[in-house]
Amino acid sequence: MIDNKIWSREETLVREEFETIQLERLKKTIERVFQNVPYYKEKLKEAGIEPGDIKSLGDLSAIPFTVKDDFRKNYPFGLFSSPKRDIVRFHASSGTTGKPTVVGYTRKDMATWSELIARIVTMAGVTDEDTAQISFGYGLFTGAFGLHQGLERIGAAVIPISSGNTEKQIMIMQDFGTTALISTPSYALHMAEVAAEMGIDPKRDLSLKWGLFGGEGSTESMRNEINERWGLFATENYGMSELIGPGVSGECPALKGMHISEDHFLPEIIDPKTGKVLGEGEVGELVITTITKEALPILRYRTKDITSLHYEKCECGRTTVRMSKIQGRSDDMLILGGVNVFPSQIEDVLLQIDGIGPHYQIKVFKKGYLDKIEVDVELVDANLLDSFALLESLNQKIKHQLRTVLGIEAKVNLVEPRSLARFEGKAKRVIDMREVK
Amino acid sequence: MLIKQISIFIPNKKGSLSQLTDILIAHNIDIRAIAVFDTTEFGILRIVVDDPDRAVEILNKEGIVAKVSKVIAVEPEDKPGSLNQIFSVLRDSDINIEYIYSFIMRKKEMPYIVLKVDDQEKAVEELTAKGINVINKEEIYAK
Repeated sequence: MIDNKIWSREETLVREEFETIQLERLKKTIERVFQNVPYYKEKLKEAGIEPGDIKSLGDLSAIPFTVKDDFRKNYPFGLFSSPKRDIVRFHASSGTTGKPTVVGYTRKDMATWSELIARIVTMAGVTDEDTAQISFGYGLFTGAFGLHQGLERIGAAVIPISSGNTEKQIMIMQDFGTTALISTPSYALHMAEVAAEMGIDPKRDLSLKWGLFGGEGSTESMRNEINERWGLFATENYGMSELIGPGVSGECPALKGMHISEDHFLPEIIDPKTGKVLGEGEVGELVITTITKEALPILRYRTKDITSLHYEKCECGRTTVRMSKIQGRSDDMLILGGVNVFPSQIEDVLLQIDGIGPHYQIKVFKKGYLDKIEVDVELVDANLLDSFALLESLNQKIKHQLRTVLGIEAKVNLVEPRSLARFEGKAKRVIDMREVK
Repeated sequence: MLIKQISIFIPNKKGSLSQLTDILIAHNIDIRAIAVFDTTEFGILRIVVDDPDRAVEILNKEGIVAKVSKVIAVEPEDKPGSLNQIFSVLRDSDINIEYIYSFIMRKKEMPYIVLKVDDQEKAVEELTAKGINVINKEEIYAK
């Protein structure tokens, strides 16, 4: 057995106990959305399901999936199950086009979220003795605030430094005696490089013990490198704003997958092509039903993340199901420095700018440890040739739009018309040259 | 008095100039002057040819971003300070130069200077008034 503190008794229930709780909560959730969300009511009726029809967990597979596009169709609050006066917090992530995906929390949801984070930070090794530096960007994205609440809940001292300004991050780490680092894995590696440039040896000069990484996937080699460079113990955690934010699952020191808080989330693995439910250990798309959320319960959400589920009891003592490292995506979503971006969003931005053509090519690669993105677009407006200033301002305008609408820093290359590849059928507009996961 | 110049968008890569000149040769268009203004990623090629309107039509048809714009060509005298005189006239008239390049016509001794300024009409007026030889388009386009 591994020596690892367990935050909550619910992490060690026996399977039958989980199943009883899950069924009861699933029924309640379905009743709730049936009553409060016309969109779900319609959807369930179309599938021939009344709330009373759910009699076992097996009946879950009859319920229609929810997909990201359902959020777009119901923008901003159409999927909410609580009146606005009960909402105490909003967050948002990028949608597939234009409008963001909006999520809301009631007071109880906030308590649930803190509880979930308390569990994953505890399983990562953090205690009330620790000083936790949160280097996720604070704002509409769920990452920073989610970790923040849970870390406070367990009594850790939180440094809400947000992302960026790397040299200051290192200085604060040193001066405040940071023991836990919370960031994306790629930012952690970037920070390590900056620390080295500053002449700081993390093992000698800093006090880091724990690294809690999320927001994007990572490989075992990245983990090893982070451990090696920082002299800390790195774990990964998983979540997405549609489900609650971070806190859906996290790794314990056994490093054999991420424990899903099953008393709050009901996971399934499906074949992404057929939608058929797959068995334990089989690799497919993760589908999650939230069973305790008030403001925004979501039925069978297709995460598009490819993984597998494992139910045997873990060395750490927890009995919650574990999901393996995310192996990829079943859609074309890109994760750029922890920010989710769909090629369709980039297209949306480009189409609204005059002077350039509808064709584009996106190139993603690593510079050092950071994701870099380049967008090639075809110049079509000859009037801009009068001066460089005009071309330069077009370039700036495209960059600015990509930054404000999508939150990404991209280098923009203007190229001549008809020089970008044309596609018949499905376009391959994204060239991802980052390490294959 | 303004002459027509063609501005062409060219990517900074091998062969992009010859690709252009190939097209112009094929259509029997003569280049009188050429200048490239570039950044690290792309360039704007500016050329003066004997038949600018036809040249642009051909280039556009080939999918090349090209545009006719008007510039001033002047012929400085062959003596020290003649360029300074041109620039002084423009400065005193509060006219800004956007860019400048020069080229040689074989039968002439002195190079021509091509100027793009923010107020072209006024520049031509002021330069002419100060006795500077502004070249008319016939002189440039003639074979």
